[in-house]
Amino acid sequence: MRLKLIYSPEVVEKPILAETILKTGVPMNILEAKVNAQKGELVVSVPASGKQLEDMIQMFEEAGVKTRILTRTLQIDARSCTSCGACISPCPTRALRFKPDWTIEFDEERCVACRVCVNACPVKAITVPNV
Amino acid sequence: MSSEPRCEDIRTVEEINDKIKCGDAVVVTAEEMIKLAETSGIEVAAKEVDVVTSGTFGAMCSSGVFLNFGHADPPIKMTKCWLNDVPVYKGMAAVDGYLGATALSETMGFDYGGGHVIEDLVSGKEVELRAESYGTDCYPRRHVETTITIEDLNQAVLLNPRNCYQAYDAATNSTDRVLYTYMGTLLPNYGNVTFSGAGQLNPLCKDKNYETIGIGTRIFLGGGIGYIIGEGTQHSPQTGFGTLMVQGDLKKMNSAYLRGATFYRYGVTLYVGVGIPIPIINQRVAATAALRDEDILVNIRDYGVPVRPDKRPVVRRVSYAELRSSKIVINEKDVPSSSLSSYKTAREIAEVLKKWMTDGTFLLAKQVEPLPKYREFKPLTVRKRELSVLDVMKREVFTASPSEGVEEAAKKLVDKGIDHLPIVDEESRLMGIVTSWDLAKAVARGKRLLNEIMTRRVITAKVDESIDIVVRRMAQHNISGVPVVDEANHVIGILTTDDISRKLVGGVTK
Repeated sequence: MRLKLIYSPEVVEKPILAETILKTGVPMNILEAKVNAQKGELVVSVPASGKQLEDMIQMFEEAGVKTRILTRTLQIDARSCTSCGACISPCPTRALRFKPDWTIEFDEERCVACRVCVNACPVKAITVPNV
Repeated sequence: MSSEPRCEDIRTVEEINDKIKCGDAVVVTAEEMIKLAETSGIEVAAKEVDVVTSGTFGAMCSSGVFLNFGHADPPIKMTKCWLNDVPVYKGMAAVDGYLGATALSETMGFDYGGGHVIEDLVSGKEVELRAESYGTDCYPRRHVETTITIEDLNQAVLLNPRNCYQAYDAATNSTDRVLYTYMGTLLPNYGNVTFSGAGQLNPLCKDKNYETIGIGTRIFLGGGIGYIIGEGTQHSPQTGFGTLMVQGDLKKMNSAYLRGATFYRYGVTLYVGVGIPIPIINQRVAATAALRDEDILVNIRDYGVPVRPDKRPVVRRVSYAELRSSKIVINEKDVPSSSLSSYKTAREIAEVLKKWMTDGTFLLAKQVEPLPKYREFKPLTVRKRELSVLDVMKREVFTASPSEGVEEAAKKLVDKGIDHLPIVDEESRLMGIVTSWDLAKAVARGKRLLNEIMTRRVITAKVDESIDIVVRRMAQHNISGVPVVDEANHVIGILTTDDISRKLVGGVTK
């Protein structure tokens, strides 16, 4: 599961992510970070679900960090995609592969939204929606 | 093929055409032919099957269209011309032009080019035409701007000097940075392998002795009908890299099989769909038409070495079957591999061509002349002398040992008027490098010895490298100088951007 964490100016300097990791013991992975003096936005990959995930979200919210669950990373425009495969081997997390009928299959769970495939696609069929 | 196959004629092209007209021809795709040969043997397959259809859909840079725009009133002898800001070659008659697939938009760069214009034309989209001239008595107009669609053109002929490579070497990258190439994105340290070509569906592989494919062969081209008009450029049949020159009426083509494409940081190209029918005239042709991915081998080459394509080091030899399995073993490590050409679309093309023949709408055309079986593939000899590292580098190199102090090193830089200080061992083998900036940082952070601050992964050059290559390397790493080393890593010179600019400007000395 990927979460977007939005830090308000009041809490932007507090180590909320580190505290949450220490408290929950869930090893979160930072995929994207935009932090300045005014605000912070992180995208993290969270290997948790169910109650544990809910608790974690509550912990963030209570600390003053808005959270959003990201359900879509990549979008592949099926009309434009030629199923060439140029996106597959450059993907560092093996989130893209061929199905038996040689069309492209995307594994949401493995994707870390690194955008390598967006550039690798010769027909610009892959986009990462703004989150 | 275990034994020499018999090759008496089984059937003629004329006989097959008669069957196609009656709807009696047995047409199978290359994949179906492979299955049939595996289950029933090649003799039975050769007897049963009249035609095998092939297909490929990949990036084919040597592609383009001849266009005739018609005359405006008053008329113009177009000397320069653009379609959607992409330059059209105008070294021809007044309103004839050639739009190449790789031509880049003058306003959008890599995002749009000739390949995209071709796709837009085929899709029926409006395209902006702009042209200039010097004006003549017969063609007084000097400027024209309008929009056109493919319907407005008198002729739009796809004419591709090189399409349909028989096979193509796969690519990998040994360096420690990502490479963006015409073979796609290549991750560092052999991080992936990319390849192109339809393998067991590839047209020229399916008749690799060119017994049926030749000048005059009628083919599927871009969703319409095309013809082979000769060997392609760089045709190199003796090494298994035959190519085709093809043409066809763009107006009858389909944008599902002609797609403009961009290879990131490389450029623009056109994906072209080609399908060729292989009449099974004898058992030898049947055997090649039944070749499998396992039987078709190519090299994996290292694109990390900036030399001409045929000199790129071969990492391994592999079959298309292994390439397509999505995993290749290099240096005992599993490396992901994937194609750049679409196997799915190649299959589709073989199916469409099969349907055309079973419907009786596509007849075979017998070759007028065969393709050459041998062609020397020559490199370009550069006769004008070019600058090499040896010509520009300074032979007098000031170095330091790793145990020297920061102050001593700073003194050296100031006294000698230099910015780069290679750090070497007792035998002058390169260990690291320190620049004036490193020394400033060392002072700021209270470091005392060079081995505490030196950069250990040093970017270097060799004496025989061309200056162009080294300049690109320096720019990529954002550095202003490189030690020149020999094979044993001894420092034998130093090359800085100062040296290069001085050499190029000439005569200016410090």
